[in-house]
Amino acid sequence: MNTDLRFSALKRTPFHSRTSLASRTNKWYTWNGFTVPTEYSTLELEYTAARNGTSVMDLTPMGKYEITGDDAHSFVDYLVTRDLSEMKDNTVAYIIWCNEDGKVIDDGTVFKYSSKKFMLCCAVKIYNWLNDSAEGFNVNIADVTDTIAALSLQGPTSCSTLKNYGANDLENLAPFEMKEFSINGYQVLISRTGFTGDLGYELWTDPQNAETAWDSIFEAGKHLKIRPFGMHALEMTRIEAGFIQTNTDFMAAEDALRPIRMRSPYEIGMGWLVHFKKKKYFIGKKALKYEKENSTTERCLVGLDIDGDKPAHGSVIYNAKKQDIGIVTAAMWSPTMKRNIALASLKRPYGIKIKENIFAEIYHPEEIEYRKIWAKCKVVKRQFYSPERRNKVPADLYE
Amino acid sequence: MSEKQYDAIIIGGGHNGLICASILSKKNKKVLICEARETCGGMANQEIINYVPSIPNSVSQSIGGLNLKYNSKGTIALSESGKHIRLIGNLHLDHATISKFSTQDADRYLQFHDKMSQFSKTLGKFMMDSPPRIMNNSLSDYAKLLKLGLNVRMLGKKKFNEFARMIGLNIADELEDNFESTLLQGLIAHDSVLGSNLGPRSPGSLINLLYRMAIHGNSLFGGIYEMDGGSESLISALIEKCKKSNVEIKTSAFVKNCIVEDDKAIGVELHNGEKIFAKTVISNTDPRSTYFSLLGAQNLDTDVKRRIKHHRSKGRVAKLTLKLNKMPEFNDCDEIDLNSRMVISPSIDYIEENFNPSKFDKLSSEPVLEMCMKKDEAGAPFLDIQVQYAPYKAHGGWENIKNDYINSIIKIISKYSSNIESCIDSKAFITPDDIEQDYHISGGHWHHGEIQIDQLFMLRPIPGAAQYKTHLDGLYMCGAGTHPGGGMHGISGKNAAKVVLGDL
Repeated sequence: MNTDLRFSALKRTPFHSRTSLASRTNKWYTWNGFTVPTEYSTLELEYTAARNGTSVMDLTPMGKYEITGDDAHSFVDYLVTRDLSEMKDNTVAYIIWCNEDGKVIDDGTVFKYSSKKFMLCCAVKIYNWLNDSAEGFNVNIADVTDTIAALSLQGPTSCSTLKNYGANDLENLAPFEMKEFSINGYQVLISRTGFTGDLGYELWTDPQNAETAWDSIFEAGKHLKIRPFGMHALEMTRIEAGFIQTNTDFMAAEDALRPIRMRSPYEIGMGWLVHFKKKKYFIGKKALKYEKENSTTERCLVGLDIDGDKPAHGSVIYNAKKQDIGIVTAAMWSPTMKRNIALASLKRPYGIKIKENIFAEIYHPEEIEYRKIWAKCKVVKRQFYSPERRNKVPADLYE
Repeated sequence: MSEKQYDAIIIGGGHNGLICASILSKKNKKVLICEARETCGGMANQEIINYVPSIPNSVSQSIGGLNLKYNSKGTIALSESGKHIRLIGNLHLDHATISKFSTQDADRYLQFHDKMSQFSKTLGKFMMDSPPRIMNNSLSDYAKLLKLGLNVRMLGKKKFNEFARMIGLNIADELEDNFESTLLQGLIAHDSVLGSNLGPRSPGSLINLLYRMAIHGNSLFGGIYEMDGGSESLISALIEKCKKSNVEIKTSAFVKNCIVEDDKAIGVELHNGEKIFAKTVISNTDPRSTYFSLLGAQNLDTDVKRRIKHHRSKGRVAKLTLKLNKMPEFNDCDEIDLNSRMVISPSIDYIEENFNPSKFDKLSSEPVLEMCMKKDEAGAPFLDIQVQYAPYKAHGGWENIKNDYINSIIKIISKYSSNIESCIDSKAFITPDDIEQDYHISGGHWHHGEIQIDQLFMLRPIPGAAQYKTHLDGLYMCGAGTHPGGGMHGISGKNAAKVVLGDL
């Protein structure tokens, strides 16, 4: 394989030899400068693997930043809106961070090794933001995106697959915990985290172990319905789980061209991650406090249960079929739940105080024509899918 | 919490801090000034300052009047040929003086002066008041901004266009368009860039001159004074005022940081560990120190940190003091000339060539000088010299290059004074680094930050922090880093007091 970057426009992940072999469709996309598959075989099969077996996704392109130094813990606590002052070693936390106006820049996860070492993972590149924010803290920030190979294994048989692979006692790892394993002579960090709302794990290892890890894992899971899984199937599972996607469900504050498109945590259903009880200052605190105390929140992000079976992609949402009150940001027919679901950004009080008489205007494509459907919507919890096994300890095992 | 609580603690007993304290205490507020040095006054002393504008009436009235004696100073632009230009701010006499060199320049000078003074008056109206705060979307702030726009528009269409043309212009272009005398060009260019990080050909150097005129009575060469007893006399008068209204002054009290509780400043902690509590804390130090040292980077939003990091506050002026054993002779100068503000800045190119190396933090061998002949208490003469451009953190380190630089300054002066070298008893030299160290002003900038369009009015010191408020509730700023900035007029201190009184 020619690895000289002058001959390729996009970077290849350490799993590339395996992902390209698994790709039956040649459907790829760019993620942070890497090329990774959108689909390997068919969307339906990949989605089904995530819900009934084990799905494997190459997570390497995800932005990964190592934060080390004496002030690492207080810096991370200052960076995000969530109170992490009590965060324990070897745990992971879901976080969001805001700019000075209290508008969300991105969401991600933060891994705590010790009070002097953290890793922050997120979809986009934020090295400059971290570096500029670090003024006044004794920390060192390194972009480790290229130096850590990452895989996501999600689905009911994922624990069994990894146990077969060599992760002993993995079933006792609780959600949002992480543990270092020595498998086949190399180190692998496994965290019980994921983006599908089901039982699942993420693996982090040195890129030189990537190919052999991929092979061993597929060998370990071959009787457990293991299957590589691309971005499109991930999109389905994350909508079912009610997880938000930056620049899909809301515009990242750093990317939005129009200031009015920026969203505060309260406007995207992330108010639960804002903790004013934190003693110290955190970025955006002043603005968020103002918003909270003066109830200036303008929008909300809600789950919609929509009549019929036609997905409401990009639909405008109406009050009583008359007044435009928002837009669908993500929609799908959920095969698992047999429900027509969507995430929608609505103008308050719709979605919060007024939940009745809400309609989606769906333009359903039918062979170069469309059918317009007025579908009645029910405002529901955004977390459409959350099986019991997701948080069960010990995790379910299969032979 | 300690039993003793103040309404306001002012950090830094410079003139702005004293004026602010005096106004607050006159409204029966309990005020404490914490001064890091052994004496109050900050940079308002002879060590730093030679010439001052007069304190505006609005400021002196707000503290019950000041009885200060000013000696008006003329300016002499020295020429190697002995054909010096002497200007005193009286337009008729100045016209006659310039006519001797060029009748064209003399007439143009009147037109130029008239135009500049009209513009500086327009800006001046805006300078006396607190600036609008652009980031809080309040109607009254927009109204203020509108008023400035209206004031400028009221000048008439022609002048409005001229104003728009000039606002970002460099002074060199404007001077070369108007005057043929290179010495006159050099002199006006000198005053445009004095104390700044600009050369005469740098965009924006013209607004610097307008700004200077606005605080010097809208005049180019009038409104320049020496205070009887130096600016120390202003300081002692202010201390007197403060003491009368029961302001407590604590010297050698170096504040380490603000005490922050529930995202509000509730007091200060000194370097010796002492904690003092107050309803408000007012910082008279520069914006960078205020934000990064007092407030603490850990209490700031990233965007604010970025803005403070961008804030330009590197000093470019050094001060050389030559103690003399006798009065030196300057070529073709009489006693009145020696008593004037003597400027060595023969042409625009001379300044620009001198400015060039400073971009690389290097020194020029031919610096621009503004000199002031003084006498100490014993009657012995000394020559106080503002040296431009002497970079902050100069390449090679000041301790290694200082002596050569001093010698090159003296060499320049000897071109105009044949016996200066034999008159020198001793030399003292203060670099911007020294100012930073001795006066706790990061960057050692006279005005706590460049006076340029992006750091003026509602943008001074940084967007979102105008109107004397910082990003931390309860912490205010009253120093030269705030609108309208440096120049020893005390407007910042006065305006800040008004804002604090509104909140107390």
